[in-house]
Amino acid sequence: MTLSGRDTYRDELTKIAEDDDRILCLEADLGGKNHQFESQFPDRFFNMGIAEMTSIDMAAGLAEAGFIPFFSTFATFASLRSAESIKLAMGYMEKNIKIIAPYGGVSGGWFGTTHHSLEDIGVVRTFPNIKIACPYGEEDTRRVIREAVSSPHPYYVRLSRNESFVSLDRDDDQATIPLVNQKGNGNLCLLSIGEQGTELCKKIQEAYPEISHVHLCYIDQVSLRNSIAQLEEHGNTFLVVEEHRLAGGTASLLAVLMPDNRVYSFDCGEEWPVYGGSHQETLAYLAFDYEALEEKVKNLLSEGAEVNW
Amino acid sequence: MLIDKELANDMSKTVERQEALSKKTREAIIDIAATETGCHIGGSLSVTDLLIALFEKYMDDSRNQVVLSKGHAAAALYSVLYVLGILEKNPAESYGRSDSLLTGHPNHKIKGIPYSTGSLGHGIPYAAGWALSQKLKGSAGIGVAVCGDGELQEGLCWETFQVVQSKQIDNFLCVVDCNGGQNDGFVHHISPIEDVRGRFESFGFQAIEINGHDFREIREALLAFEASSKPFAIIANTVKGKGVPDIEGNPKAHYAKIPHRLKNKWKRSMV
Repeated sequence: MTLSGRDTYRDELTKIAEDDDRILCLEADLGGKNHQFESQFPDRFFNMGIAEMTSIDMAAGLAEAGFIPFFSTFATFASLRSAESIKLAMGYMEKNIKIIAPYGGVSGGWFGTTHHSLEDIGVVRTFPNIKIACPYGEEDTRRVIREAVSSPHPYYVRLSRNESFVSLDRDDDQATIPLVNQKGNGNLCLLSIGEQGTELCKKIQEAYPEISHVHLCYIDQVSLRNSIAQLEEHGNTFLVVEEHRLAGGTASLLAVLMPDNRVYSFDCGEEWPVYGGSHQETLAYLAFDYEALEEKVKNLLSEGAEVNW
Repeated sequence: MLIDKELANDMSKTVERQEALSKKTREAIIDIAATETGCHIGGSLSVTDLLIALFEKYMDDSRNQVVLSKGHAAAALYSVLYVLGILEKNPAESYGRSDSLLTGHPNHKIKGIPYSTGSLGHGIPYAAGWALSQKLKGSAGIGVAVCGDGELQEGLCWETFQVVQSKQIDNFLCVVDCNGGQNDGFVHHISPIEDVRGRFESFGFQAIEINGHDFREIREALLAFEASSKPFAIIANTVKGKGVPDIEGNPKAHYAKIPHRLKNKWKRSMV
């Protein structure tokens, strides 16, 4: 059975912790009952209570002593409530803290606007020195967790809620390298971020197989800079598909980093998702769905983005 | 009795030495106040004695960390590091300059400073995290945060005390420099924090109140912390601008940039 992102995180971290005493697992009252890590390593598991800033600042003290603290709570609380702690402890002082943030985007569905997170990547990305990963599927999530453990850098890993996906096939074992899902022979390339963005791009490719599709797992500024040369092998027109707002989104940054290319955004717009419903229904309200993406792709093609059929 | 007398003599010598260090530190702080940038002099002079006692007692052991959470008192921190020999040069020579790490709030890139503070509240959870790390290692190390009474208006402080209590981090010490002032005036005018000791106790701490300028009382308080099985708070009553009669107790002395002639006058007037 394929695991969701957050279940994958708990499973992989628990496995790694068997052989690595440095691993600590911190939650802020949103880890749920019967937490796998807590069951296996109760002495290294800390439910901090509803205390996000404290958790990250205390993680800084733990990291200074050589531990590798993983702190997990919903993306919007992790990134916004704790923004200054992230800025100082992780960005400025580069403490080896790993934030795992499920409920990214609007995966909270009927939980409502307070629990949605369409701004987190933009906020965290403004702080230098933090690796930001947005994996697609179980295998890539496991890779990212392993890479986070072995890296001295602070991490922000954005996950979704309960949906589960099989990751795209990789030629290499590093999620840091952009994954070319399918290489078309025209100039339009879809760049997918995260689970829902990648799902949409996969479906578009079924209808438009000649369009290139590259999945970017790491989307911090340094990682994006390092990806540019590889991206430019796939044309000169890019459509970034990301469950985020335009402001602070990956497209807005890539547009500046790739000034000789045309970079477009397919994002969640500027609406507040005020209604209930499932994750998919909330995305549809924000016009982040297949029909809207297909229309965007058709418009780009009609405007001259070359695709050789 | 003979042994007690010897101990008393030793303590007198220690206090005498600490008071001498205190005087040198205050002189260095006044030097910083006379630089082009000036400094947060009031809170630096109030926290000086606490920092000297804490650094002398705990900083030789790498298992311990002392964090100045009220980072605006950086002039005191730099000056203490200087008189203790950790910083080689008088900080006033480079404080605030474009080629200097000695910024107006402490910088972790400086030797002897574990955490960049200044945005109030953050040093407290950092020190608590360090304390927890030592417990996990089975170490006797401790984590100490020095904060201000105005700083306690920050919610992050109490969020952390709640966590410290729940995890029973009994090797964590919070020292509150209660000088009664903050940037815009008196704490009791702006947002009063009555019964600080009682507040800590209600959060599961053992707390004691002392004169934060009496090295004997500070020493006794630290011994009480070491003997305690609870998270510990020292409520240190201090005087803003301590040692400089012109500004003692005056909340307007929160930040000052003074002319050269005043520097010399203040040094001569030090008590």
